[in-house]
Amino acid sequence: MTKFALFMMEKNTLHIDPEKNCPFNRDDSPFGDVVLSSRARLARNLEGFPFVHRSSTSDCEEVTSLVHRICDNPEDKNALEWINLDELDALSTELFVERHLVSSDLAHASHPRAVAVGAELSRSVMVNEEDHIRIQSIRPGLQLEEAKNDVLSLDDRVEGVIAYAFDDQIGFLTACPTNVGTGARFSVMLHLPALRIIKDLQRVRSACEGMSLAIRGYQGEGSKAIADLYQVSNQVTLGYTEEQLCSIIADEFLPPVISWEREARKTIVANQFEELDDQTHRSLGLLQSARMLQLHEAMQCLGNVRLGICTGLLEGIDIKAINKLFIEIHPSHLRWKFGAETPDTKIPTLRSAFIREKLF
Amino acid sequence: MTKCDFCDDPAEFTDVQIKNGVHTTKNYCKLHAAEAGFSVAQVDLSVVLNMPSSKLPSTQNELRCPDCGMSIAQYKETSLLGCPTCYETFADQLKHIIANVQDNHTQHIGRAPTSESVDVSRHLEVRRLLKQLDKAVTQEKYEQAADIRDKIRALHDGEEHLAH
Repeated sequence: MTKFALFMMEKNTLHIDPEKNCPFNRDDSPFGDVVLSSRARLARNLEGFPFVHRSSTSDCEEVTSLVHRICDNPEDKNALEWINLDELDALSTELFVERHLVSSDLAHASHPRAVAVGAELSRSVMVNEEDHIRIQSIRPGLQLEEAKNDVLSLDDRVEGVIAYAFDDQIGFLTACPTNVGTGARFSVMLHLPALRIIKDLQRVRSACEGMSLAIRGYQGEGSKAIADLYQVSNQVTLGYTEEQLCSIIADEFLPPVISWEREARKTIVANQFEELDDQTHRSLGLLQSARMLQLHEAMQCLGNVRLGICTGLLEGIDIKAINKLFIEIHPSHLRWKFGAETPDTKIPTLRSAFIREKLF
Repeated sequence: MTKCDFCDDPAEFTDVQIKNGVHTTKNYCKLHAAEAGFSVAQVDLSVVLNMPSSKLPSTQNELRCPDCGMSIAQYKETSLLGCPTCYETFADQLKHIIANVQDNHTQHIGRAPTSESVDVSRHLEVRRLLKQLDKAVTQEKYEQAADIRDKIRALHDGEEHLAH
């Protein structure tokens, strides 16, 4: 039994309820019609150690044990649960990847590595990823400022137990020079179906380009857009303060993009009502009636239903449930619910059943 | 006259290597030097001396980080540096790379570490001394090694003193 009420470690299996512990359970989701979630991440390294890809097993163990001290205070209200990834079962590890609490690279590496996770499974400190330390926070809707404050407060806590590799001129020293300076990456997940329908996504891409922002698909780097979900993040990490980087996205980039998407939705309702009405109800029908759903198809249908809810065409469906389903219909979440041994062939059937249970 | 180590021909090339503090010298004739992979082509010195410095064979590829042994060529393969000291070692090359990926920004203006606990400083100092000790032993500098060992002991004693 651990000190942390949400978790119980038993035979290296992490018993959590991913449905109860989810940032999307929160009611506050500012600009949630367009902004699905906000994420802040800091990259840090320890002074005196080689970067992870040049580290020996004993270096990695030493870094892990030094960072572990952030969990030493049992009185801490914002307790973090420490998990050595070598000791965690495969299913829980994959679940963490689907939650973006650990990266796929970190999950599948063989060197000593760990993650400290917070309540709601929304904050995490990854240890021995590309950098010794990656601190991150995910919040629903447009809460980039809050996510930033989460990671800066975790940063203070980590700094209390270790010494960071830092240079006055180029800031925090990271394994890859693309992260030096603040080491900060702020990102927002946007739902932009209407701009795609009216073929105006180029406007968003141009805005990104003008502000040195990167636009990617749902899974981040190298991934394609699924369900009209796009991730936008800062490319430059040096020469700006954390506040400025956060503000470029939250105060400069997002306001026009949110209004473009909202206007595009109004335009479609006014000019292409029948097509939109058909598309959203068709997707709802599929989610209601299909008995086998592949991930991509289910995500696209959920995206269309989300657009239907936001434009007022579909009523009685909770947008929070849709936001959660984007995560919960991934294979490891389904295996968590229906059994770790569930074969791949059964997943599409269980996915459709799970969606029906949650939505109808 | 020195002979080639591999035949009776006169040696024209000498290869001196220092590994773990031990010197080894090998002598080669032109033929065996070529077989061993050395460049034995005639070099017209006047051409080299008159060459603009940018066209000279680069020696920067051989520059290695004193802490982790990484070379800039290895960095170029992975786009990842080896350790924090690499930033100092390859400062000249990285200046351009960083400016390029960071929209020409070169000066950090964000937050900086504020504190360093005594405990953390001591830990780092012990690590640094252990590295020096390893190097001294490898180079058979035993007196220097004994000094370093004493420093490490003193740091450990200080730690125990603080703990009690």
